[in-house]
Amino acid sequence: MTAAARSRRLLAGPLGLVALAVVVGSVFFVTGTQAHGQSNVVSTNPSDILAGQQLFQEHCQACHGYEGEGGQTSAPPLVSVGAAAADFYLTTGRMPLNNPGNEAARHHPFFDATQISQLVAYVNALPTITGTNQTGPTIPTVAPLCPTATPDPSDPGCVTLSEGLQAFSLNCAACHQAAGSGGILSKGNVVPSLHNSNMTQVGEAIRVGPKPMPVFAPSQMSDQQMSAIAQYVQYLHHPADPGGLGISHFGPVAEGFVAVLFGFGILLFAARMIGTRG
Amino acid sequence: MSTTEERAAEQKRYAAGKSVLDTVDERFGSSRFLTSVLDKIFPDHWSFMVGEIAMDSLIILIITGIYLALFYVPSSTDVIYAPTSGHVYAPLVGQHMTEAYQSVINLSFNVRAGLIMRQAHHWAALVFLAAVLFHLCRVFFTGAFRKPREVNWIIGVTLWLVVILEGFTGYSLPDDLLSGTGLRVIYSIVEGLPLVGTWIVYDFWGGSYPGTTFLTRLFVIHEFIFPLLIVGLLTAHLMILWHQKHSDFPGPGKTETNIRGSRVWPQYALKAGGLFMIVTGTIFLLAGEIQINPVWLYGPYNPYTVSIGAQPDWYLGWLDGSVRLWPHWEFASFGHEIPNPVFPGILIPGLLFTTIYAWPWLDKKIYSDYGAHNLLDRPRDKPFRTGVGVAAIVFFADLTIACGSDILANDFHVGFERVIEVLQYGALLGPVVGFVIAYKACQALQRTGAHPIQRPLGGVIIRSANGAYHTLSDHHGNGHGDNGHGDNGHGDKADAVANGHGTAEEAPAPVGAADEPAGASD
Ligand code: HEC
Ligand code: HEC
Ligand code: HEM
Repeated sequence: MTAAARSRRLLAGPLGLVALAVVVGSVFFVTGTQAHGQSNVVSTNPSDILAGQQLFQEHCQACHGYEGEGGQTSAPPLVSVGAAAADFYLTTGRMPLNNPGNEAARHHPFFDATQISQLVAYVNALPTITGTNQTGPTIPTVAPLCPTATPDPSDPGCVTLSEGLQAFSLNCAACHQAAGSGGILSKGNVVPSLHNSNMTQVGEAIRVGPKPMPVFAPSQMSDQQMSAIAQYVQYLHHPADPGGLGISHFGPVAEGFVAVLFGFGILLFAARMIGTRG
Repeated sequence: MSTTEERAAEQKRYAAGKSVLDTVDERFGSSRFLTSVLDKIFPDHWSFMVGEIAMDSLIILIITGIYLALFYVPSSTDVIYAPTSGHVYAPLVGQHMTEAYQSVINLSFNVRAGLIMRQAHHWAALVFLAAVLFHLCRVFFTGAFRKPREVNWIIGVTLWLVVILEGFTGYSLPDDLLSGTGLRVIYSIVEGLPLVGTWIVYDFWGGSYPGTTFLTRLFVIHEFIFPLLIVGLLTAHLMILWHQKHSDFPGPGKTETNIRGSRVWPQYALKAGGLFMIVTGTIFLLAGEIQINPVWLYGPYNPYTVSIGAQPDWYLGWLDGSVRLWPHWEFASFGHEIPNPVFPGILIPGLLFTTIYAWPWLDKKIYSDYGAHNLLDRPRDKPFRTGVGVAAIVFFADLTIACGSDILANDFHVGFERVIEVLQYGALLGPVVGFVIAYKACQALQRTGAHPIQRPLGGVIIRSANGAYHTLSDHHGNGHGDNGHGDNGHGDKADAVANGHGTAEEAPAPVGAADEPAGASD
């Protein structure tokens, strides 16, 4: 055996011990949670609506029609979709589409915050402008987290993560995965991960139901539940990972990869170093 | 003190020590036993150490498992999570859950070193099964299952099965959303069995799903029955190995009737001890740094909720994949509708395992070779067997990938149905392609005599006096009767000399009635 091989073999044992020491020293912690809610007011200021109309004519009209009545393309009418839909599709960068055939997927937003609020103001005003008396959901307000882990009787306006987890696993986990990591629906529909959606967007998605996701109307899901889910999804962006690296919370498939390729890989290498090829 | 006095004192000490040893020895005959144990010889090819990696992970599993069992509560009693002291996992406060789930949450957040033990236990299980599978492949591809080692093959396959079941029962104990979903799938598969299905699930679950007695039974199975079975089978496995002695690859100085390698003491014990430390270190490294099975995120099991991505652990992935890939055919026999999952969930695994169990005897038929062998085949020496092995690996890999098909489709942005379709063809054609490639590769390697990894294909070309050319491997031939494939560049001889501890040699246990080597100890 060569000198190098011998020192490799000598090193193997101590290396194992060092690894063991690293582990024993690793730390446990539980992170704090977010206490704030989120609320957005839709502007009814005529100058905002006017600015929104200009942007709309420039960027949306070609597909959605002059006053959002729907176009010749597959683009749906926007007259009575409501502010929540407009805000959701714009802040998640789904609109404007480049091409009516494209899939409306999440992108970096095309407009800045002011432009978005102007477009939302315009879409919100469309029922009045066109004289329709039907309108869609407005941008939901997400209630703040209670200071305690249990619901606070003196503050009925707050929600808990516990309510959020329950409502989330009941209504959303089937498509978005228990930790919000995303998944797949049949017919090739990708269900996005929720790790990029802020609380308002979650509330909007619940009320608007970006196809093929179903709509959860207030009659099926209270504002309280909606807020709790939004808070819980926010928590899932950076959940307490007391066990170490979260490996995207994909569960057993990711864990299997790590165990076989990394864990067993190291051991196979060690066996190769210790054993001979004779 | 003078030298004579020193020597006298030394002799006295020696005599005292010797008399203690003698006292023990006279009663238990231990020195003869110890000598035979410590002088035992093991070949040290690296691939033989993978069985040890499996054994080491098993030891870690048992130790961490005992710790977990001190805190786990196998009860389906409904409780409301409201810990009174220590860390509280806020998102669960006030929720209904079984006592079992609550005890796992407390184990993770409140018990000292509870989480690292849980994680080490789970990582060790995943590594264990990787080692078992690799070990099984090693035994298969080298023909180590041939006479006289068929029984160890049978015990080995049984161990594999029991270890899979042990892993699955462990996965199901926390009673979280994923484990509950997994049990639900198994429940439906078993319930679908014609005639006996409903009875089995009724007896096992003590009524309808999920039942109230099931977790207790599961715990007893996971904690006592399977571990005892595994340790018992493993003891038999190793005793047989000890008695028959380890096989080895052919090489210079190696014959059917000798064994070359390291003695148990000190060389082999040091190697094995070092390996054990590395296995422990690696598993605890994973346990300390990478989170596994965060059951608190999944929430308690509740029959009304499901999560996408609720896969089993990787070693059962092939079963889940088999269910996913099986087409939606419907069968009825004697007017009895057989539920779909029964075929991919029971029939296919049944056929596979029967074939694996029967392989040593199929192999005898295929090669018309009923003799005993202590020298291993190199995989290339048996292209057909190697081809079959590769085909099986491709098939299992395809099913395992199918288990992660939703994550695949999501990550690579391809349609789910597309992925399934590709994998369905993969399951049918992949093994054939794998077989052909392996078969051809074996033949090519036989011709060149090169090692597939270490040396480029080709060999030394020699020009003889009369002008003819031939390669070294042509010269030596390659039948497996020829043990001395000395041209393969292993440098065995040089290694044996430079080894420092010198290569030890021993005769293997008698294998046939005939040529019994003299001096077989044990
Ligand atoms: C290239 C054509 C195109 C352009 C340009 C376009 N859209 Fe769309 N829009 C569509 C299509 C197609 C859909 C339906 C997509 C879907 O459901 O996935 C849609 C859907 C929407 C919806 C959701 C409607 C509902 O029923 O919930 C809103 C809101 C919307 N668009 C707003 C806008 C705004 C605001 C603009 C301009 C900034 C815009 N779109 C630009 C094609 C377009
Ligand atoms: C039937 C499956 C399904 C269910 C149930 C479902 N979703 Fe969705 N969800 C989807 C799909 C598909 C999309 C993508 C829609 C698109 O891109 O047009 C989506 C998109 C979203 C988005 C936008 C993500 C982004 O890219 O910014 C959010 C937020 C969201 N869902 C939240 C929820 C919440 C909260 C629930 C539970 C109340 C829920 N979903 C339930 C299928 C589902
Ligand atoms: C719990 C899982 C198992 C453990 C802990 C285990 C352990 C071992 C060990 C330590 C050895 C000696 C070293 C070696 O050759 O690698 C061995 C040999 C052997 N094992 Fe296993 N084993 C397990 C499962 C299996 C399986 C699944 C099979 C095959 C189906 C198998 C078949 C054999 C055979 C035939 C030998 C003799 C090898 C020879 O002499 O060349 N074992 N086992």
